[in-house]
This record gives sequence, C-alpha cells and structure tokens, in this order.
Amino acid sequence: MALLEMCGIQDVLKNKTEDNFLSDMKYLTANFDNQMHLSLPPFANPAEDLGLFNKDEFGRPINFHFEHGTTCLGFKYNNGVVLAVDSRATGGNYIGSGSMKKIVEINDYLLGTLAGGAADCVYWDRVLAKQCRLYELRNGERISVAAASKLMCNMAYNYKGTGLSMGMMIAGWDKRGPQLYYVDSDGQRIKGNVFSVGSGSVFAFGVLDTGYHWNLTDEEAHQLARKSIYHATYRDFASGGLIRVYRITQDGWVHLSTEDCKDIHYEFEEKKQQARMAS
Amino acid sequence: MCTIEAVTGPNVPCHYINHVLFKLFFSPSGKLVQIEYALAAVEAGAPSVGIKASNGIVLATEKKQKTILFEDCIHKVEPITDYIGMVYSGMGPDYRLLVKKARKIAQQYKLVYQENIPTQQLVQRVAAIMQEYTQSGGVRPFGVSLLICGWDNKRPYLYQCDPSGAYFAWKATAMGRNYVNGKTFLEKRYSEDLELDDAVHTAILTLKEGFEGQMTAENIEIGIADENGFRRLDVATVRDHLSNIPQSVHTAILTLKEGFEGQMTAENIEIGIADENGFRRLDVATVRDHLSNIPQ
Amino acid sequence: MSIMTYNGGSIVAMTGKNCVAIACDKRFGIQGTALADNFQKIFQVGSHMYVGLPGLATDTQTVYQKIRFRQNLYELKENRKMSPKVLLAMISNMLYERRFGPYFVEPMVVGLDPETAEPIIGNMDLIGCVNQPSDFVVGGPCSDQLYGMCETLWEPNLEPDDLFETIAQALVNACERNAVSGWGAVVYIIEQDKVTVRHVKTRMD
Repeated sequence: MALLEMCGIQDVLKNKTEDNFLSDMKYLTANFDNQMHLSLPPFANPAEDLGLFNKDEFGRPINFHFEHGTTCLGFKYNNGVVLAVDSRATGGNYIGSGSMKKIVEINDYLLGTLAGGAADCVYWDRVLAKQCRLYELRNGERISVAAASKLMCNMAYNYKGTGLSMGMMIAGWDKRGPQLYYVDSDGQRIKGNVFSVGSGSVFAFGVLDTGYHWNLTDEEAHQLARKSIYHATYRDFASGGLIRVYRITQDGWVHLSTEDCKDIHYEFEEKKQQARMAS
Repeated sequence: MCTIEAVTGPNVPCHYINHVLFKLFFSPSGKLVQIEYALAAVEAGAPSVGIKASNGIVLATEKKQKTILFEDCIHKVEPITDYIGMVYSGMGPDYRLLVKKARKIAQQYKLVYQENIPTQQLVQRVAAIMQEYTQSGGVRPFGVSLLICGWDNKRPYLYQCDPSGAYFAWKATAMGRNYVNGKTFLEKRYSEDLELDDAVHTAILTLKEGFEGQMTAENIEIGIADENGFRRLDVATVRDHLSNIPQSVHTAILTLKEGFEGQMTAENIEIGIADENGFRRLDVATVRDHLSNIPQ
Repeated sequence: MSIMTYNGGSIVAMTGKNCVAIACDKRFGIQGTALADNFQKIFQVGSHMYVGLPGLATDTQTVYQKIRFRQNLYELKENRKMSPKVLLAMISNMLYERRFGPYFVEPMVVGLDPETAEPIIGNMDLIGCVNQPSDFVVGGPCSDQLYGMCETLWEPNLEPDDLFETIAQALVNACERNAVSGWGAVVYIIEQDKVTVRHVKTRMD
C-alpha cells in the first residue's frame, strides 16, 4: 500500500463504490449513448496544445497525418445540383489510398462531401445522418438542406477550438429546390451556387468558373464537373485516383460516373492530338 | 620551410621577398641562366640511372659516403606511393622537399578519386611545381633532376624531371656526373625485351662507368618497381646482384686468359651463362662489356 | 515539407547480367503543384555511365554542372575517360566540401566498368557517404516505396529486357504511392554495345 500512498491515489480507490463504477463507465464511454459527446482533452486550448503532448520517447513530435489534400466541387444549376470529388487520401507525401469515397450519402436526397480530417468528416457525417433520419421519423417529412447543414454547423461549433478539421459541402433537394451549403469546422456555414473545397480547389475553380453558367444541360454539367476535378488531379499532388460525380434532382441523388483520372487524362490527350491533326 | 609550404603559388608575400630575392630573368641571349646553373648543380651531383624492363623498372644511384662514420639510414631512393618511386641527382635537401610534395600530391589524388595516382599525373604535377619555382618571386629553381618510375596501367613508366619543369619519358637514362658516358653505355646495352633482373645488372654496370673506387652494396642504392609495387632493395639483395653473374664471368675470363695467345677480344671467345632464367649465350656486345671490366 | 521533397522526383537503379539500368520519373513541381512533366534528373556522363540527381531541382542542375566541370578537367588532364568508381569517389569528395551547407541532392551513379564491363551502381547521401551495393539503389521522396518494390521484384542476373520490365514496374508502382513523384517515367538500359532509352506512360495524378 506504500506505493499507493506515494502515488497519492489511495483516496481514489477508497471511494470506489458500485455507483462510482457506473458513472465512470458512463464517463468513459460517453459517445455510446450520445455521439455528440466526445471526451475532451484534459487541458485548455487543445487545437494548439495537443501538439505539445504528442511527443515520442526522443522528444520528437508525433505527427497526426490528417488527410488534408483533396478536391471537391459542387454547383447548382438549372436542373439540380452536381457534386464531384477525387479519391486520393494522403498523409504527407504518402498516398494512403487512391480509391477513397469522399461523397457520403446521408440519405436519398442529401449528400455530403469530405475534406480535411478524414476521421472527423466521416464521424460527423454519420452523426448527421442519424440526426436527419430521426428528424424524418419525428416530423414525417425530410429535413431541409438548410436545417441539415445547420445541424452540422452547430455540432462543429460546439467543438470549435478542439482541432477538428472539416470542410464539407452539403447538397440536396428539398421543398425549396436544389440546395448547396458549405460548412466547415470553424463553424462557418455559407449558402452558394458554386463551391470547390480542398488543396486542388484552385485548379478546379479555374476550369469550373470558365465553363459554368446557370443553364447548363445535364450532360454539360456532368462533363464540366468531371473535367474540373480531372484538372485538379492533374496539377495537385494531393488529388487523384477515381473521379466520382453525383447529381441531385427532385427525385434524389444519382451516381453519374466513377472513372479513373488516368483514363480521363489519356482521353483528353487523344482529343488534343486529334485536334492538332485536324488543324 | 613552413613559409615556403604555405606560399607555393606565384603570390609570395612581400615580407618574404624582402628577405631573399633571387633574380631569375632572361639573359639577352634568351636563356634563363639560373636554370642553367641548376642544371650544372645536377651534372655535378652523384650519378643515377633508370632503366625500363619489360616487366618492371629499376632505379639506381651512387651513394658515396665521405667517411665511414656515416650511419647508413638516409636514403636517396624513396617510395612515393605503393607503385611509384623516385631518385635524384643534385642537391639532397631540395630533393627531400620534392619527395614530400610528391607524396602529398599522390595522397590528395587518392583522397579525391579513391584510386592510385598514375605515374604520368604525378610527374606532371611535380614538374608543375618545379616550373613554378622558376617563375616565382623570392625562390630559386630546384637543384635536382628527378627520375620517377612507376607501375600502373599494367605497364612500367620512367620519367625524368628537370629543374626547368621539363619532363621526359625514357626507356633508359642516366643523370648526374658523367651522364653522357652513362647514356652512351645504355644506348649500346639497352634492348626492349630486357627482363627486370637484367635491367638491374645493366643499371649496375652503367653506374660502374666512371665509378671511382670499389663499388659495394653500401655505396649504391637500387629501387625497383613491378606489378607488385615499388621497393628499395636492401643491402643484402644489392650485394647479391653485385656478386651475381659478373663475378663468375669475371673469374671465367681470367681463367681463360691464363695462357691465352694474343689479344683476347669479344670476337675470339664465347661465353654462355645459366641462371634462374635459363641458359643463354652472351652476345658480342655483352662479352665486350665483361672484357672491358677486367683490369688489364 | 522537407527541402528534399520540395520539387519531388525519384530515381532507381539496378544491376542486371552484363547490364545496368537507371530510371526516374519526370515530375517537376513546387511543393504540391506540378509544373512540368519533362524534367531531366538523369544525365549521361560517359559512353556507359549515367548520373542521377534526385532532390532539390536547382541543386540537381547545379551539381550536374559541377560534376561535368570536374569530370572534364579530369578527362583533359589525364587524357582518359572516367570510370564509374572514380566518378563516385569524385562526387563524394565534391559533396563533402559543402559539409556544412550541402547541396540537397542524393547522387546516384550507374555504369559499366570500362576495363571489366562489370555493372556498377552506387549512390550517396547529400554530404557524400557512398553506398555501393550489388543489387539496386534508390533515391528521392518515394525511396521507401522503391525499396519495397525492388526487394520484391529484383533478382540476380536479369537480362536487359527483364531488367527493363523490373525497373519500370518498380518505379511506376512506387510512384503511385507517392504524391510528389510520377507524371511520366524514363528508363535507361545500359549494355556493352548499346544504351536503350524508353519513356513509360504512367498515371498523371
């Protein structure tokens, strides 16, 4: 028992009762029951200070290789909303996956895209999906995109400053027609017609802004989305792999295509070649 | 010595020039007399010989001790690398500086390229230093000519470096006192397919040309380079070479002379010898050499 | 991001039976953004000798020029061609000169020995520590992946055609796991009587 005294924990053990055990269990497994309740780090300002504790035995920082690089885009047009994403997951220069699914199907009328920390996005999208389904069951109608994005925004805001990393688009079709929102881990929520998110977004925007107008046909919209993402995968080191395109109409979302950006590249190369030959 | 070390380039510091100033300018006839004086110092120096054989090279030099009180531990034949050796005629102190520089050049080359310096490269760089001393302020030309031999590229090399910085590739040559006779002798004796042991023999005979007094293993020095590298022969080995064939041929000729009617010439006797290289009949020139070595 | 991966680009070299191969990707980027797909990192420095310079692109070019400078001096001074072993020693010596402010390249030398025609490969770190294995050497940001590929694919005494297949697969697949390497590849197969240069199509993302 001398060791217990030295460590100063004998009081803790003395108070251990059955009740305390249950409350401990509840405390330690908080998100079993409430997914929005994460155990918080035992120090202030975790977004910055977490790094101070993540050191190995030699004092070198342990890096969390968050998946930061990506390219996602979404735009509203005449006939609906189109979302397109790449599928590369990187940690530093290492390519962890070339076929990651960065569009989350929240329900038949609602899609979310992932950018930032993969774990954060996936987790909170799952929580959002649960909330949306509960809303539907409670109210007998589907949740509006505005409300869904607001839920996500509130959850993110609750954990502001803890170092969550998310930048997502939430798109869908509701009573008010096609909807597109951008929500991020700072608690920002913006409604808009054209968004692109991630390290490759600058390249995607270059193509997207050039080709975008409200009255695109379905085919034009699909081609514009895939071309924009393709150009981002071409130039941006953290974007690549498969290019997935979804469209949301009043009947819900449809998956338009999943193509390897390599095939798109050589398709475009061939077109360039033909154009050169023709001239 | 240290100052010279640090300023081998043309930029010799002023304070050094203030102390010593050698004049090295062209004479009206277009000659650099200082260099001629240096060559004179070489010609007055002890003779040395170098001969290239098919399977190696030999360097030999005279090392006369003025008194028996000298300890025999300062050498004239010096190794520069495992495969390169050097000897000189002229001034000993100047030679030792060049040996030091040559060794440094060789080691620097090996540091950079991880490969032994080729003999030609060493010669070129040593010659460049010797040339620098003909053109720099505050210094005088070296009073030595060098013989540098080496084995690389699977073949032997023999070079001579003069105080002017000129260098020559030789099959065989002699320098120092009486070098003209030495060269004439070599011209007669040299053949392309000489074996190293024969070359040692020839080198000894060349030194014998004009050697004053008795030649012994103590007053000459021999170095050889072959595929196993360069080494200076120790006294015992030199003694073996000295006493080898010449002595017995000598005795044979003297025996033959007993009761020989008329003048003995190379044409009216014949000599054959057998050794580790097999049996051979000596040609007329060699026989004549042997005859000329016998006191009348 | 480390300065060694600022521009991206990886190189691998392998020995075969009486032949050697060296291959590199063609990407030139500035951190995440790819700028060119024709960047040269492998240079011919002899009839049967090539040097690869993965690392910071500006130093790739500067070090190549410095190598040529010293090599030309050697070849003029000595009136003979430089052998791969000597080149390796010379580059090592050159890099160590900048021990306290190095060039950010990890040079790689491949070639056939002019005397024995024996295949020679070697590389070094950025301050010139030489490594001369008998199988393969790798360099650049995806060297970890290249090691994995080479350990799996390489075997002794590969004929030139098999060596090409091996080295190309090793490079292309390693680059597919690295975000700053890729964008096309080029392979050099060096044999006693010829050198074959092949450009390999790759993913472009």
